[in-house]
Amino acid sequence: MAYTPQYGPGTSTVAENRRKQMNPNNKLEKVRDVTDEDVVLILGHRAPGAAYPTAHPPLAEAGEPDCPIRKIVTPTEGAKAGDRVRYIQFADSMFNAPSQPYQRTYSYSYRFRGIDPGTLSGRQIVECRERDLEAYSKFLLETEMFDPARCSVRGATVHGHSLRLAEDGMMFDMLQRCLLTGDGNVKYVKNQIGEPLDREVNVGKPMDEGWLKAHSTIFHSLVGVPYRDDQEYVEYVQRIHSLRTKYGFMPKE
Amino acid sequence: MAKIERAQKLFLDSLKEKFQGEDPEAVNTAFYRFGGLAQSPRKQEFIKASKAVEMQRGISMYEPVRCHLGGIPLGQRQLMTYQVSQSGVFVEGDDLHFVNNSAMQQFWDDIRRTVIVGMDLAHQTLQKRLGKEVTPETINEYLHVLNHAMPGAAVVQEHMVETHPGVVDDCYVKVFTGDDAIADDIEPQFLLNIDKLFPADQGASLKAAIGKGLWQAIHIPTIVSRTCDGGTTSRWSAMQIGMSYIGAYRMCAGEAAVADLSYAAKHAGVIQMASILPARRARGPNEPGGIKFGLFSDIIQANRKYPKDPARASLEVVGAGTMLFDQIWLGSYMSGGVGFTQYATAAYTDNILDEYTYYGMDYVKDKYGVDWANPSPGDRVKASQEVVNDLATEVTLNAMEQYEQFPTLMEDHFGGSQRAGVIAAASGLTCSIGTGNSNAGLNGWYLSMLLHKEGWSRLGFFGYDLQDQCGSANSLAIRPDEGLIGELRGPNYPNYAMNVGHQGEYAAIVGGAHYGRGDAFCYDPRVAVCFADPSLKFDFAEPRREFAKGAIREFSPAGERSLIIPAR
Repeated sequence: MAYTPQYGPGTSTVAENRRKQMNPNNKLEKVRDVTDEDVVLILGHRAPGAAYPTAHPPLAEAGEPDCPIRKIVTPTEGAKAGDRVRYIQFADSMFNAPSQPYQRTYSYSYRFRGIDPGTLSGRQIVECRERDLEAYSKFLLETEMFDPARCSVRGATVHGHSLRLAEDGMMFDMLQRCLLTGDGNVKYVKNQIGEPLDREVNVGKPMDEGWLKAHSTIFHSLVGVPYRDDQEYVEYVQRIHSLRTKYGFMPKE
Repeated sequence: MAKIERAQKLFLDSLKEKFQGEDPEAVNTAFYRFGGLAQSPRKQEFIKASKAVEMQRGISMYEPVRCHLGGIPLGQRQLMTYQVSQSGVFVEGDDLHFVNNSAMQQFWDDIRRTVIVGMDLAHQTLQKRLGKEVTPETINEYLHVLNHAMPGAAVVQEHMVETHPGVVDDCYVKVFTGDDAIADDIEPQFLLNIDKLFPADQGASLKAAIGKGLWQAIHIPTIVSRTCDGGTTSRWSAMQIGMSYIGAYRMCAGEAAVADLSYAAKHAGVIQMASILPARRARGPNEPGGIKFGLFSDIIQANRKYPKDPARASLEVVGAGTMLFDQIWLGSYMSGGVGFTQYATAAYTDNILDEYTYYGMDYVKDKYGVDWANPSPGDRVKASQEVVNDLATEVTLNAMEQYEQFPTLMEDHFGGSQRAGVIAAASGLTCSIGTGNSNAGLNGWYLSMLLHKEGWSRLGFFGYDLQDQCGSANSLAIRPDEGLIGELRGPNYPNYAMNVGHQGEYAAIVGGAHYGRGDAFCYDPRVAVCFADPSLKFDFAEPRREFAKGAIREFSPAGERSLIIPAR
């Protein structure tokens, strides 16, 4: 019997949104346009138009060893070219940012190849080959997984995910890498590690509260869906915990 | 998941003081307007002090405006003050780093410089091997000699150097026993009087457990253990004990029986506060990583002072434990730097963990009839998986909801590791106090972690991925290669050795099981008696209050050196 992923339990909209983001067969809505050059500027790893720095020669020239694993795994474009490994890191507000750290990791794992995600409370990083990264980053910035006010691309100094929102609805950022400007758009004035950009990068208008709540992947009893209300979700976690406990106590059972 | 109502929110006073003029339930606020470091008197003091240091030594030092993030100093948001929980004292965060807090230093000094050494083996050597008479008079005389020698004075030889009493004034030895007749014969200045120090039921229990043995509670000079290490404590004490026996009982300094006394004082009759650590941790005995959680809960004396409030007693262990294990052990011994303080203080400031824990107490009483304010093994709820799941789930959900309902509370605990540790601690404490079973408490901790992670799609830093997601499976395993009863676990237990925000709370969960049962001790009655000593510099019944005193610079530590350095 073929295994069919279920992408997690739960009857709430939060649970359903989580499944939608994880399920690679579900096409996520494209909400905004961010150009390739703008993605490169925000990432700050290379100058737009510059060649990709390499960590090794292209695989086609490298003379790979006779390795059964290499025959099974098709290299990504970045790996083929020998790109170095770089990163994008997001901070996501607990006030209904459309994606959240573990949710990102789970979703990336289902949707992307050749990645190394890391999950913390205030940030989530993913590392991969540079040209793959740029493609993934474009997807992450343009789709419903991103909101310009509640999500932020931050390589360092990520403090903000749990803080109250600023008066204009933006998540706190000590470096103020992006600003809500007079035309209603959020524009990056610094790259993800806080180096000033030569020009602003427009990532569009913040989504409204109704949209954010409808697309949220975090339970929140004040601004969203209370965790307590999704009984199936809670009972699922209890079940996992109970099974693990019993196995550790008496593995024969 | 039947939520109960608690009208009183213990953290609200702190939130109102920290975020003055702001609605603690509001979602929005203003940032970037606080003037950076100018908002903090302590940071201003640092700048001034640094300038004086730079002028004197000619080397640059504290330059936050230049060096922090290339010109963006701390304080783009409000730099918060903190109330040390249940102390009523508000302090600056900087003052809770152990370098800036003499009470925290003394807390650890007082543990590291302590060993307990039995007298019975030595007395048998004296009586059976040497034919010496041991009487109450000789014991008291020996204690006079020992209290002369232990700080570093000579008792046998000519032309010896000695230590300045003013520099080692915190060094002394007292004794204790479970035998009233023996205790009556000891000079009061040398006796830890169990009857006077403990509530009657605890005293009776301790005396029964200790029996007729006579034990020395030894505290070597703070300055010695600081200059050397925890492994020094038993060596220093054993040397002075040996010399004191020689002097008090007129022994030959070189006779073979001295070896028996040395063996007893260094090995056979010694209770170290912490066991030696494996080579990869590179620490000797009496260093923080070797303290078993059960023993640590006996060091902390809040259960003696608040026997009817096991939650309070446990919360004092949390405060003391996070300070020692997070700030000093993991934060400096094992890691270095200053970041760990921020994790640890979350568990003992602003009455947040206190509120969550008392919610758990109310819940366990409301649903299971456990009268938590009258500790007793008789009315604890049976530690089944269902009960643990129910208690941990409800306490976790409540705590998450409090953070959600009060955005300033979330902002107070701005880090996921802070919140994870606090929520899981309240869950674990509710389970351990409610059931009287430390492993049930640990199991509740791990369910809390899983619930938290799934609810908010985040937990703590990377390390939580391992420890807290495999903890369910080892919380009830007791085979030595897989698990232990909570009392025997410690900071060096597999999987516990790397994560801030856990070890102090685990110790409290272990202690809570016993405090909930009304036990007089958790692991070793001798340790419980040793740290009940009112002569100690640090009051182990009130660690959080003592830390607050250190923060506001009202704590007087040992280790005075002004006698031997130039006057400033």
